[in-house]
Amino acid sequence: MPNPEPAAGSPRIRQLRILSLADFAVLTVAAVAALYFQLSLPGRLPTEGDYRGVAESLAKESKNGDVLLLYPWWAERARLYVPRSLPVVGYLGSDTNPLRDFPRIWVLAQPNLPRSDIKAFERRFIPGRTALGSPRSFGNLQLSLYRNGLYRPAVFSAAAEHPSARVYIEEPDHRQLDCPFDGKVHRCPGPEQLRVDQEWHEVLYEPRHCLWMHPPGGPRRLVAEFPSAKLGERLTLAAGIVGEYASRRQPELTVTHVVVEELTSGRRLLEIAIPPGREGMQQAETPSQLQLPSSMALKIWVQSDNPALRETCLELFSDRSATP
Amino acid sequence: MSSRSTRQWLALRLKDNWIAAALFAASAAALAATQAPVGFVRDESVYFVAAESYARWFQHLLRAPAQALTDNDIVRFFDINHEHPALMKMLFGLSYLVFHEWLGVLKPAAAFRIPAFVVASLIPAVTYLFGRSLFGRKAGLWAAVSFLLVPRQFFNAHLACFDVPIAAFWLLTAYAFFRAQRKPLGWLWCGLAFGAALATKHNGWFLPFVLAPFAVVRGWILSRGSPEARVWFYRFVGLYAGVGALFAVLWISEGPRRFVANFTALSPASALLALTAVGTVAILRQLRWASESLFRALAPLGAMAILGPLVFYLHWPYLWHHPIDRAAWYFDFHATHVHYAWFYLGTLLRDPPFPLDYVVVKTALTVPITIFLPMAIGLGAVALRAVASVARRWRFFRPSFGEALVAANAVAPILIISHPNVPHFGGVKHWFPAMPFLALLGGSCVACAALSFVHALRRRRRALSGGPVAGLLSALLFAPALVATARNHPYGTSYYSELAGGLPGAATLGMQRQFWSNNVTGVLDWLNAHAPPNARVWLHEVTGLAFQEYQLNGMLRRDLQAAGGPWDAQIAVYQYHQEFREHEMNVWQAFGTETPAAALYLDETPQIIVYQRE
Repeated sequence: MPNPEPAAGSPRIRQLRILSLADFAVLTVAAVAALYFQLSLPGRLPTEGDYRGVAESLAKESKNGDVLLLYPWWAERARLYVPRSLPVVGYLGSDTNPLRDFPRIWVLAQPNLPRSDIKAFERRFIPGRTALGSPRSFGNLQLSLYRNGLYRPAVFSAAAEHPSARVYIEEPDHRQLDCPFDGKVHRCPGPEQLRVDQEWHEVLYEPRHCLWMHPPGGPRRLVAEFPSAKLGERLTLAAGIVGEYASRRQPELTVTHVVVEELTSGRRLLEIAIPPGREGMQQAETPSQLQLPSSMALKIWVQSDNPALRETCLELFSDRSATP
Repeated sequence: MSSRSTRQWLALRLKDNWIAAALFAASAAALAATQAPVGFVRDESVYFVAAESYARWFQHLLRAPAQALTDNDIVRFFDINHEHPALMKMLFGLSYLVFHEWLGVLKPAAAFRIPAFVVASLIPAVTYLFGRSLFGRKAGLWAAVSFLLVPRQFFNAHLACFDVPIAAFWLLTAYAFFRAQRKPLGWLWCGLAFGAALATKHNGWFLPFVLAPFAVVRGWILSRGSPEARVWFYRFVGLYAGVGALFAVLWISEGPRRFVANFTALSPASALLALTAVGTVAILRQLRWASESLFRALAPLGAMAILGPLVFYLHWPYLWHHPIDRAAWYFDFHATHVHYAWFYLGTLLRDPPFPLDYVVVKTALTVPITIFLPMAIGLGAVALRAVASVARRWRFFRPSFGEALVAANAVAPILIISHPNVPHFGGVKHWFPAMPFLALLGGSCVACAALSFVHALRRRRRALSGGPVAGLLSALLFAPALVATARNHPYGTSYYSELAGGLPGAATLGMQRQFWSNNVTGVLDWLNAHAPPNARVWLHEVTGLAFQEYQLNGMLRRDLQAAGGPWDAQIAVYQYHQEFREHEMNVWQAFGTETPAAALYLDETPQIIVYQRE
């Protein structure tokens, strides 16, 4: 395929040279900018000394019940340094976590990182929160403290109070197979996953210290009874399938039912159905107009016809507004 | 040509060969000098074992040839990793025997990797020669040097794997095809290079689909003035069209299973293969008498059709006794490959259909901007010229045969992987064959830009010449890539470009931060210093074979024992992947702590997190 070139010096050649000259300019500017980026990047990162400075401040000033939120969510190197008593929260989506268990939130931000957008973070995070003082800088780290207006102290948590629960597998004919408590875990007869315990699990990237309750399969239910659960202004049930199993949609997988009932009357209070492929924590709570008694005997159960890949993690809690 | 100009031409050619040789040697030396800290990726740990097994078969062949050639013995040595052809693994294994076992001069991993360095180093050398012949010396040099300055390519070039070797043999085949248009025996090299590509990785099977249109169009143009040549041209094309159609009829009428079962030595399919081979030779012989230039256009295709499958079959003993069944299994394995989870722009991709833009975006975010930009401009310029040349008044813009060939090879591997149903894991390595061609287009862009600058300034500075300007511009363009490569090594699968905002920017964008488990090398020193004697260590995502290799190569203490998971480990080393978050939670649960003991952070992004049981 011949490529007949026009004579040098023709208008066409001049036009091409102007285009190439523009390329030269673009490439030169891009090279200078890229070199600046590469050479300046180390200066935009925090040093170990910066982290130690933050850790010292947190050791002195943090209180029991505080939490440390990371921005960007993935910049979790601080976990190596901060006091162990201070929970660290940083996962994909953590910017919008209400963190309702915590009255105060420390935010450790890295505003100088490439693609950091601290203003956008604040737009997501600030509503409902009040800054307590000005941000402090430790090199490229920025530490701020907030009062959490979304704080709602829990008066009951099934996960935390599971040692006092009665756990059993309920057969379709209502026979009960006891799952005795061994001092840490309620272990049921059958496979190892048939247990009830507060465990760390991931539900759609979020670490949850939740109640592990794996459905036994068929019409059988795994049941945990809480004979006297204290209740606040509302009762909330949250449940999800653990890890990557949540995303699976194979036709043989079945819906997982998580139900909360009043133990004495059998009245259904809350119910969640998790179909295959549904990711994340599903949530149900009692209507706000419903007046809850100060305590109630509750029963929570989990069932799925096919228990395969239905590793269920749930939270049942009751909270109230924070008193000023 | 006068004798003086012939001498000049020879001198220039010699100079180019010396430059190519220097590029080859410098690349091999750079790879050898920087290989020690490169971790053993998951696949490589399997290839090491397969390579050693294949090499043992050669020893067995020398000792007991008759027995070694039986199917039982072949399967005993070649069954491992028969999902990939054997060429590179044979070379890795023989290198291991020579440099580690016999000479004792290299550690096992370095010995396995030597052939990988050699084959990878072909890329800068061949890229230079290809670029030199198409766009000039400056463009060729830029393209050649740029290949190993892309951090992910530099990293992959160290591995005893197939992704860079297939890029090398793809390039070599295309270059041989290009040269075959002028060289009398070029067709032979084209066929052999294609055979090497097929013997390296399955990507090679796509090469004929990229090169055949060029051969056919060129053949059609060249036979225009000669009725006799045109007749032979039609016969050649007709032979392949006919055989292809008959194979399609057999496949459709019998179905895949019966087609494979019926494909015996005396079967219609075998007859078709024989007809293709005999027909190709017969037609090409006649064609050479009718028109040498037409012969050169079509003979590379014929050579690929005959020599490619022949090399594929002959190099792989596993196929010798059951060529059809085992080749069918091989193709089926890759046609139905599983999908692994992959984090892309904040979404975990698990199943097809995958985003159409994935390959282009991923390339843009992982090739240094100063290399990517010339590539994109160069490719865009060829595409624009091709479109513009449709108009008569812009016909002079029409890309040359070589330019079009380079552009097609730059685009084809990207298009193949861009298909929404093709597996999208593995970072950028699956479309490495496109990268040398993109580099060539980038080189032409840089050379043209430098030349235009010289022309613009020549009125004022008459002494200004193109060489120093192109050199300075190239140095400026390569400087950021060099800094990034040096900072990033040996964590090549984690590199992100300036466009992404580096690794921190990519983490915020929601991109996969690493894969293949090699970044674990970043915490091996900590393990060696802090692990209790005989500790059980769980290296998440690291294969048991790789665990052993780290110990064999002196990178991990030999008293440490591999644990199967956090539940039976004293130390857990977690690899941060978005899809593996549950594994880290399991460690928290098993160890009773959420606080790491040590970690590898690259530009603040968590990569490897170490936990120690409380």
